[in-house]
Amino acid sequence: MKRRHNPFLWAVPLAALLFVVLIPYLWIILASFKHRADLLSVPPKWIFSPSLENYRQILVEKGFDQYLLNSLTVGFSSTALAVTVGTLAAYAFSRFKVPAGNHIFYILATRLGPPVAYALPMYLVFFKLGLLNLQVGVILAHATFNLVLVVWMMKSFFDDVPREIEEAAYLDGCTPFQVFWLVSLPLTLPGLVTVSIFVFIFSWNELLFALILSAGEMRTMTVMIPSLVLHTGTLWGQVAAASVVQSLPVLIFTFFIQKHLVRGLTFGAVKG
Amino acid sequence: MINAQARLSNRFMWMCMAPVIAFLVVVSLAPTIVAIIDSLRELSLTVFTKRGDFVGLENYRDLLGDDAKFATAIWKSAMFVLVVVPFEFVIGLAIALYINHEFAGRRLLITLLMLPTMIAPVVVGMMWRYLLMPSFGLLTHYLQQQGFLAETTIFSNEFTAFAALMIIDIWEWTPFMMLIMLAGLTAVPQEPIEAASLDGANWWQVLCHVQLPFLRPLIIFAIMFRAIEASKVFDTIYILTGGGPGNATETIAVFAFRTTFIKWDLGYGAAICLVLTFFSLIVAALFYKVTSGAQGR
Repeated sequence: MKRRHNPFLWAVPLAALLFVVLIPYLWIILASFKHRADLLSVPPKWIFSPSLENYRQILVEKGFDQYLLNSLTVGFSSTALAVTVGTLAAYAFSRFKVPAGNHIFYILATRLGPPVAYALPMYLVFFKLGLLNLQVGVILAHATFNLVLVVWMMKSFFDDVPREIEEAAYLDGCTPFQVFWLVSLPLTLPGLVTVSIFVFIFSWNELLFALILSAGEMRTMTVMIPSLVLHTGTLWGQVAAASVVQSLPVLIFTFFIQKHLVRGLTFGAVKG
Repeated sequence: MINAQARLSNRFMWMCMAPVIAFLVVVSLAPTIVAIIDSLRELSLTVFTKRGDFVGLENYRDLLGDDAKFATAIWKSAMFVLVVVPFEFVIGLAIALYINHEFAGRRLLITLLMLPTMIAPVVVGMMWRYLLMPSFGLLTHYLQQQGFLAETTIFSNEFTAFAALMIIDIWEWTPFMMLIMLAGLTAVPQEPIEAASLDGANWWQVLCHVQLPFLRPLIIFAIMFRAIEASKVFDTIYILTGGGPGNATETIAVFAFRTTFIKWDLGYGAAICLVLTFFSLIVAALFYKVTSGAQGR
């Protein structure tokens, strides 16, 4: 369907669309550099003298460096856990006929349920074990919720590896483990990296489990940003700065996994 | 020889499956059993006289029988899904059709358009809260200047609060729809489209009779996927209204959260969670059936 169009006229609606999509974010970036008076001015100010005061306040005075570190710890640990456990299962699902495999697949589909319904049972267990002040709860919760993503996505990557390559390795005398470790896994390594980034982003962005299963010094960024909304008024400059710090890594990662966004966001169901 | 290898494969398969099975038993099965037991008790952390008495199925009877708030929450969630998903689908498909050809900077454009979906819902909530603050909010200011908005604050009116949450959700998730539709459109073979064009079909006819039928399975998948996700919406509501004013924006997830972690009625909360889990298992089964047929997974 080749239609000739004037590239300029064609780009105008796109520019408008980009404006609608990006303006809320650009506005919060601007806000993060504003002084208090500029933040609340009527009419809203587009031009102002920028400062890094808000960043200093959250990272130095409010101790957000600790929450940032917590988010990183939770992100890395839950990603490592989910990816290790999930990749092995995905390989089994892809290559062997797993007995009762459908049932296990089905249990994994619990990711489709509302997180709050899993948060409470986990809360009850960790409450009874007295583990609420550790990060274990959040890490396990995030790993569980992302497990299905890893399994489904990695299965789709393993399915893409031609069986002939594996069969050749078997004929050369490799054991099943060697075939997996030396042949299939390296071939799916780009996929594995992509999956890991997705799992990390989902954990990094997650609110509900982090809110319920962590306390005090163990809280993560997503839990702490809303805490800047006080009864006496919201500290908008600090909210903005914290939001930018929280979201920048996500945007950078998004750019790198752009090719696999479809596969990741649909849990491997749609191959983009 | 063949037998030995089969045995080896079998052993390796179980080695692969063992961690995931152990993991699921510890983090899925055990908590569910605890929750089932607690859902049969009167377990409230705020009322000290109600500690741990077994009450049988009373929590379930209250919840399903005469909790008007639960019924309202289901209704609110349903309304949310029914409004939000069609908008996201139509706008997403329209954008996908608009940029469904090669041009310079396409990758960058798509990445930029995906921003709302990729950043944390918490940040989305905060951004919009700032935009919609009374008087000094950017959007409120310009809308009021144009005379679109009365002097009331958006989140203190039941209707505008819910509408604002819907618009924010549409802003957040339309790019996701666009991305899936774009993936589908690129996979549509060109020959039938060209053939139809040669036969004199106009753009609209090509869309309705060639492209959309080809996309049908993907569209079903995308709409179901989004409907499930939208029915669970929590983060943005938690940030923007907390379920208020009153319980005007209290969807199922917010209702369950409020009951359990604001009122600390754990027994009742456990019952809610298990009912929701039961619902979602049915939905998951349906989803799996429809999509595995559609996707040939």
